[in-house]
Amino acid sequence: MRGFVSPQRLSLGHKMLQINWGLILIVTATAAIGVAMLYSAANGSWNPWATRQIARYAVGLVILITVALVDIRLWWRYSYLLYAALLALLAAVEVVGSIGMGAQRWINLGVITLQPSELMKVGLTLALARYFHGVSSEDVRRIPYLFVPLVLIALPSALVLKQPDLGTALFLIMIGGAVFFVAGVRLWKFGLVLAAAGAAVPIVWSTLRTYQQRRILTFLDPESDPLGAGYHILQSKIALGSGGLFGKGFMQGSQSHLNFLPEKQTDFIFTMMAEEFGMAGGLLLLGLYILIMIYGFAIGLRSRTHFGRLLALGLTSMLFLYVFINIAMVMGLIPVVGVPLPLISYGGNAMLTLMIGIGFMINVYVHRDVKISRTGGGDG
Amino acid sequence: MTERRVSPPEKIRIEGDRKTAIETGRNRLMVAGALFAAAFLVISTRVVDVSIFSSEAEPRYSRSITKTEKYTGRADIVDRNGVLVATSVNTASLYANPRLVLDPEQAALKLSRALPDINVEAIERKLRSDRGFVWLRRHLTPRQQYAVNRLGIPALNFQREARRMYPLGPLASHVLGFTDIDNKGLAGIERYFDKELRSRQHNMALSVDIRVQHVLEHELSIAMEKFGAIGAAGLVMDVETAEILGMASLPDFDPNQPGAIDNEVRFNRTTQGVYEMGSTFKIFTTAMAFDAGTATMRSGYDATDPIRVARFVIRDYHAKKRWLSVPEIFMYSSNIGSVKMALDVGIKDHRKFLTQLGMLKPVRVELSETGSPLSPSQWREINSMTISFGHGLAVSPLHLVAGVSAIVNGGIYRTPTLIRRDARETVVGKRVISEQTSLNMRRLMRLVVENGTGRKASAPGYLVGGKTGTAEKVSGRGYKNKALISSFIAAFPMHKPKYVVLAMLDEAKGTKETLGYATGGWVAAPVIGAVVRRIAPVLGLRPIKTQDAAHEALSVKISEKSGRGRRVAAN
Repeated sequence: MRGFVSPQRLSLGHKMLQINWGLILIVTATAAIGVAMLYSAANGSWNPWATRQIARYAVGLVILITVALVDIRLWWRYSYLLYAALLALLAAVEVVGSIGMGAQRWINLGVITLQPSELMKVGLTLALARYFHGVSSEDVRRIPYLFVPLVLIALPSALVLKQPDLGTALFLIMIGGAVFFVAGVRLWKFGLVLAAAGAAVPIVWSTLRTYQQRRILTFLDPESDPLGAGYHILQSKIALGSGGLFGKGFMQGSQSHLNFLPEKQTDFIFTMMAEEFGMAGGLLLLGLYILIMIYGFAIGLRSRTHFGRLLALGLTSMLFLYVFINIAMVMGLIPVVGVPLPLISYGGNAMLTLMIGIGFMINVYVHRDVKISRTGGGDG
Repeated sequence: MTERRVSPPEKIRIEGDRKTAIETGRNRLMVAGALFAAAFLVISTRVVDVSIFSSEAEPRYSRSITKTEKYTGRADIVDRNGVLVATSVNTASLYANPRLVLDPEQAALKLSRALPDINVEAIERKLRSDRGFVWLRRHLTPRQQYAVNRLGIPALNFQREARRMYPLGPLASHVLGFTDIDNKGLAGIERYFDKELRSRQHNMALSVDIRVQHVLEHELSIAMEKFGAIGAAGLVMDVETAEILGMASLPDFDPNQPGAIDNEVRFNRTTQGVYEMGSTFKIFTTAMAFDAGTATMRSGYDATDPIRVARFVIRDYHAKKRWLSVPEIFMYSSNIGSVKMALDVGIKDHRKFLTQLGMLKPVRVELSETGSPLSPSQWREINSMTISFGHGLAVSPLHLVAGVSAIVNGGIYRTPTLIRRDARETVVGKRVISEQTSLNMRRLMRLVVENGTGRKASAPGYLVGGKTGTAEKVSGRGYKNKALISSFIAAFPMHKPKYVVLAMLDEAKGTKETLGYATGGWVAAPVIGAVVRRIAPVLGLRPIKTQDAAHEALSVKISEKSGRGRRVAAN
């Protein structure tokens, strides 16, 4: 079939056939687990979380397919513009953002409260992919060429850090690092940055808010404050341990249902899942994420454009970071930074970001043979 | 296709460059994938680890466990049917460490917003003191605790405590007593069993039946108000087991407000107060004479003239000025006849008899508030004479009730108790009179209600029998003529007595209705009638509607000097 259709001009119907429906199926399965857990978190009620999560998923799915079908060259052309728009929104949060959970992170658009820092994860990937697409592999090794992408990373990170949201700022930096890595930046430069970061730790520490400092200290020794800042982690570990091999059963998690577990519908939903479905449930979910990420890597490898490859990799990294940070956090491997579990946790912005991200992955696959020139236009 | 149109050298360069880029990209992609896989392996391992291998138990917080444990303060107290009468409720008490208070004036002001009834100056003074601990307010309600927490004043903290609560308020307050703010029993059962209540895990069951208690208090308070009495006392006792079913002393108090209880109302008239009982003592005099054999139901004494002894003159209140048979002496409450009966028995035996009935020692009951009887130090003839009609010996109402129980129950004296006895338990006692004497006494007591001074005590169908008592109160050296202790002691049903009931009014005044009389027969007997009518059904007694053997058994043949028999039957 591919032989009859020029890869440069794909009809909408053809594109629909090209979409990785398998990937969408896995994503849907994951989201369904999320809805089930939210139903359980509300003690067997569709309200207040499960129904709204379903609605969000439905909207997200439409957006995903739309994102996937739009010509990749169009995304390529407007990637800087999207980035700039999100940066402007991020700046706007500083000005008009409403206060939520002690930090300014949301901007109320009437229909939804938008959290630009979440969407920026995709925006930054787009911008970086576009930049490295236009830089030759030789130039990538030259330091002046790294100036622009570093600024691309630094601007949103600084704004997010100012909110203050240390977790998301680091998140953005790590996504940037992943794109840098795949783009071919020399490894010693990463070493240099890490060393510099290490040196900056004391300086950063002094600028951190007290609650951020406490979280890190608590991470290092949760038992030091079992009823205060260490409460989250300890309760989470107890819940995880109490799940055992196959868990206590759906809606039977006592730690979660008796409200020992904080934020069980958002950041600590994995704990609740592991309590109710045990190790088997936790590993099953990890398996689903791994499948999504394998799709991501496969798409990246298969893509003939540098842009597509970097985009796929960047977005896969994003998903990886979400999953890894969240699960490592609830298991006490890293400090509590407030990263949701993708497709599972209750929350519209993360869902939107993930769906857009996967939309772009599929977009890369659909347009895997479309060529984009280094300077733009792709073909005539 | 722009790319295909570019010149070959450039194309090769670009192609070559792209190839390296793609090569590098792919390699790096694989490495990234490997890194991600490694990271996932770590968290997967961790998932397996925490859910299966590490059994992360609930950590031990030595600090928090003491706070969340249930505070077991004192055991609950229940009535004989298990109705809760005293319990402990967990509360929070507010204290402060004044050394940590930054601004005592502000803190005190803020506190007064949450707790409007506190004294701001006193609190501020407390917060200024150079101490590590001051109580600010004990036993806060959850709402108050919330309000204080909301103020966010540092250095304030809460201590979990138990507060003693008496859900029925003043009911049976003299039995229960009360505790101080530190849960130490200060009166009543709370004091007597203080140590035991602190240590015991299960309820303590009283002999008191709270329904009976309520009726008793209610009827006494009505009478108290009606006759303007300054106080009243009442008792209901099971004659077989000596369990006290009701013990009332008015005025009473609310044990929930221990601070507001003054000594006057704390006074338990039934055990602490000792009174000259007056004519009710004739029960003992008559029973003693029967048992000693010096008098019979048919014998009698001349009561024509008052008796003069030294400077005293002993008169009859309802003087008949003639020879009276023993039943008549009892029925008309003749002092002269009683004195003669007592003298016939002899003063030694009189004293011995009253000692056997426990009248000369403090009554033994589970209360600390017991009064010692006021008895003559040397027992002379004059003492026996006055004591025969209830003067010259002051005992507590409980003494009287315990004594009369023994007289009517077949002759066995048992120590009264406020603690419920096991139904299977046999209650030991000691015989004080013969069964025959007991039967005769029951007949005489029934007679008083049928035909004598106690008609107002009758409760149709329950065969009430009893004896009135009216004594002048001792005031300084002499007797206060107008201040009376008016009482009535009764038992029912008289053919087979189950309960003894006492009603006593302190300084009752006569009303128009009572023709100005404030004697036991006028003011106390109606209380007995009302109480019996109300408690008998509650206690499971059926009224006897028909003339039957019970009436026959209780009928008394009153002898007159002429020997002409007159049969007085109860009906």
